[in-house]
Amino acid sequence: MRDLASIGAAGPRVDADLKITGAARYTTDFTLPRMLHAKVLRSPHAHARITSIDTARARALPGVGAVIARDDLKGLSSYGYFIKDQPIVALDKVRYIGDMVAAVAAESEEIAVRALRLIEVRYEPLATVATIEQALDPSAPALFETPASGIVPAYGPGASAVRDPAKNICYRFEYTTGDSANFADADHVFEDEFRFSRMQHYHLEPFVALARVEGGMIEVWSCCQNPFPLRKELARVFNHSEQNIRVHVPFIGAGYGAKNNCKAEPIAILLAKLAGRPVRFCMTQEENFLTQSQHAAILRFKTGVSSEGRLIARQSRIWLDAGAYSDASPLVAEKAGYRSNGPYRWQYVDNRCDCVMTNTTPAGPFRGFGNTQAGWASESQIDMIARRLGLDPVEMRKRNLLKLGEPYVPGESSIDSDMIEGLDLVCREIGYGRGERRRGHGIGVAIGFKDSGGVNKPAQAQVKATTTGGIILNCGAIEIGQGIQTALTRVAAEIFAAPVSRVSYSPVDTDNTPFDQGTNAGSGIVVMGKAIEMASRDCVRQVLDFAAGALKCRPQGLRLEDWSVIKDNQAHSLAPLIMREYGGTGFEFVGRGYFKAPTDHNAPLEAKCMSWEIGWGAVEVEVDEETGRVVLKKLVVSGDAGRAIHKDVCRGQDEGAAIMAVGQALFETMVYDGAELVNIAAAKYRVPLANDLPEILRTITQEQGHGPGPFGSKPTGESGILPVMPAIANAIEDAVGVRITSLPITPEKVLAALKAKQ
Amino acid sequence: MRMVDGMIAIRFKLNGDDRSISVAPNTNLADILRDEFGLTGTKIGCDQGVCGACTVLADGVPIASCTTFAWQCDGRVLLSIEGLAQDGKLDPLQEAFKTHSAFQCGYCTPGMILLAKALLDSNPAPDRHVIKDWMQSNICRCTGYQVIVEAIEHAARRRHEAGR
Repeated sequence: MRDLASIGAAGPRVDADLKITGAARYTTDFTLPRMLHAKVLRSPHAHARITSIDTARARALPGVGAVIARDDLKGLSSYGYFIKDQPIVALDKVRYIGDMVAAVAAESEEIAVRALRLIEVRYEPLATVATIEQALDPSAPALFETPASGIVPAYGPGASAVRDPAKNICYRFEYTTGDSANFADADHVFEDEFRFSRMQHYHLEPFVALARVEGGMIEVWSCCQNPFPLRKELARVFNHSEQNIRVHVPFIGAGYGAKNNCKAEPIAILLAKLAGRPVRFCMTQEENFLTQSQHAAILRFKTGVSSEGRLIARQSRIWLDAGAYSDASPLVAEKAGYRSNGPYRWQYVDNRCDCVMTNTTPAGPFRGFGNTQAGWASESQIDMIARRLGLDPVEMRKRNLLKLGEPYVPGESSIDSDMIEGLDLVCREIGYGRGERRRGHGIGVAIGFKDSGGVNKPAQAQVKATTTGGIILNCGAIEIGQGIQTALTRVAAEIFAAPVSRVSYSPVDTDNTPFDQGTNAGSGIVVMGKAIEMASRDCVRQVLDFAAGALKCRPQGLRLEDWSVIKDNQAHSLAPLIMREYGGTGFEFVGRGYFKAPTDHNAPLEAKCMSWEIGWGAVEVEVDEETGRVVLKKLVVSGDAGRAIHKDVCRGQDEGAAIMAVGQALFETMVYDGAELVNIAAAKYRVPLANDLPEILRTITQEQGHGPGPFGSKPTGESGILPVMPAIANAIEDAVGVRITSLPITPEKVLAALKAKQ
Repeated sequence: MRMVDGMIAIRFKLNGDDRSISVAPNTNLADILRDEFGLTGTKIGCDQGVCGACTVLADGVPIASCTTFAWQCDGRVLLSIEGLAQDGKLDPLQEAFKTHSAFQCGYCTPGMILLAKALLDSNPAPDRHVIKDWMQSNICRCTGYQVIVEAIEHAARRRHEAGR
């Protein structure tokens, strides 16, 4: 690798000063003159028909600017990703406790809350389905009597999907490759069932939107990480032209997947339209819990293997708890189904993933996106199989891992990390196979595996250079905590041979920012990063062309260095040259970039995956056999950044994800009593705290150098969550010989398993 | 404190300045800081006094401003994140959070820094276990805490070297 000045260099994140001084502004911090405040009336019933709504008393309350209920939605459409099933407020039915029924905008939140109490709603309760099993029961009521409109995208070889294959299943994705006869070649076939728990994202900044509707223009400040898809969806929902909708997205107070598509925005916009005044709708944390969650899942994995531990055939059946509206569930199902192979080579694969509708909080994207679920089952089962066959689980993995450069499946892109290298690394760090075995102590290893960079997503970018050499990035990548502003700034600085301090990052709004599909799926560095790289190179080329003209030479021999042009080892300051050429006023060079993985009908998802995000995890646990308590003595987590553009940022992504996973593994979960969420919000819901850290935590950023992003970089940020849960379960079996197949792994479950074993 | 027309007149020192304001009895401190004084560095996360994003220091003690009535702050000395840097010079904790990248989304960061300041002001050389125990009163969903702990250790050393 050649020496790079900005890539991988020490130095703070570009958002550091704003964030450590309290000056960083988030959507929650924006206000407008004459702004009203919105509050929402939510359903107390999990499933009920609305027989009547009377909002007259609420509308008459002094200080109320607007009220919306179902009668106010005429001409407006419902929203969702593939399936448009979620109305702005409930129409005929409510489908979960917390479903939005009506909304009020008033001079203060207090008045809005008082007005909500004046709304009279009569319900006719219906039978509820609280779980996947209940939803699939033939006698269960249907959440949707008639299917909502929606689409099934085009898929390539082996992949397919259908809408509504059965009652309460809104989407089914299937992927198959190879010959099913291969199951007959297996010496052993193992069938195991796993349960995946459901976490809430717990982003500290709530769902929030500030809207104003004036002169036919809808303007909204939002914490949505995908402003352009949001604009498109709002245009459809409000039947409003895209050029008259403007979405601003400032810093986002994290999302972990949740800050997608319509959340607070439609309510704020509709109320603003009706009130003729700006409206702010900021949800409470309780409302976050009633708006979006991770997918709980049931996973049945059937795996055929040779006596020597060679993986041959796999059939996976996954049921995701989609909650009451489809949201992004079809996309999550697509990824869970597509990636159930894990990082291994197979003769035959037959994966199916269903989105099951239940009367609970709608589930949506969550860090790991389907692979948290699939990986929990797969990496648990691989370990179980190795132990059943008397094989070393790490050696068995190595025997089956896809190699660097080997396609994931036919038609798909190749693996861009050496997975054995990473596995050896974490094994060394945890001391795998070394040292004396101590009673109650065990070591577990797992590999998290997912495609990364999104599928078929375009990104455009613009890079400007001012007369005096200021570099201004203009692109739709949203800073949600992951450090994308820092990464893209460094990419541009490197290409301009300029210090990072000369680069600034424009605020994002859909009127002025080049188009982008969104900040998701680890696409920031491998998709937008390439667009920024291209725009930067385009801009530099224009500068050098200009300099060649000014210096009366060919551009080929010229290069940039801190806003001077170097010709024959002599530096020519650019600013005076530009001023002379452009009449003393100045000029801006504008570079443009665009990137999208090519559409490919031979790829199962219609475009090859950009990159593969691998998370290696190894853990040492101590299990107290009297209480069932599991203590993490040491946790090692590692990702491959390809080339680390900012080392702290890479570490932070993997480490933060790993601790989130520790919560999921051991204690954090949304607890439902029937269809009622019991541990809603902060006082009752337990997330990892500082003293939940493992005794030793080691996060290792690999730089294997094979990534498709700028300077060999790869995505990071989701892989860290993936290996931790199965590694802990594997370590527990290693320690005390019991296998826990459902999350979280509470002391009660461990103790019960230990008792059952005796 | 006196109540006039249902409002309570209170005075306090905020980031070094004397302030007086009339508040409703049920107004919380976070709303006063954000809405009346424009100090939006104080973040509201859970709004239940659990997550700590709204942490400010009152007479040097960390409090959850979202669940503290404004009138409870009458006569007290308040410090929000905006008042921490002195004459444009960052506090050693701010420097340490910056150099360690001990933040991601930044929503918890003002509260984390102020919580840590209260710790170091009362215990200038805490060991790692003390830091973890102290910092568990605030929630960071992004970083996994370890970098925050490291930044606080670093700041403690810096403060010691600077003789503070």
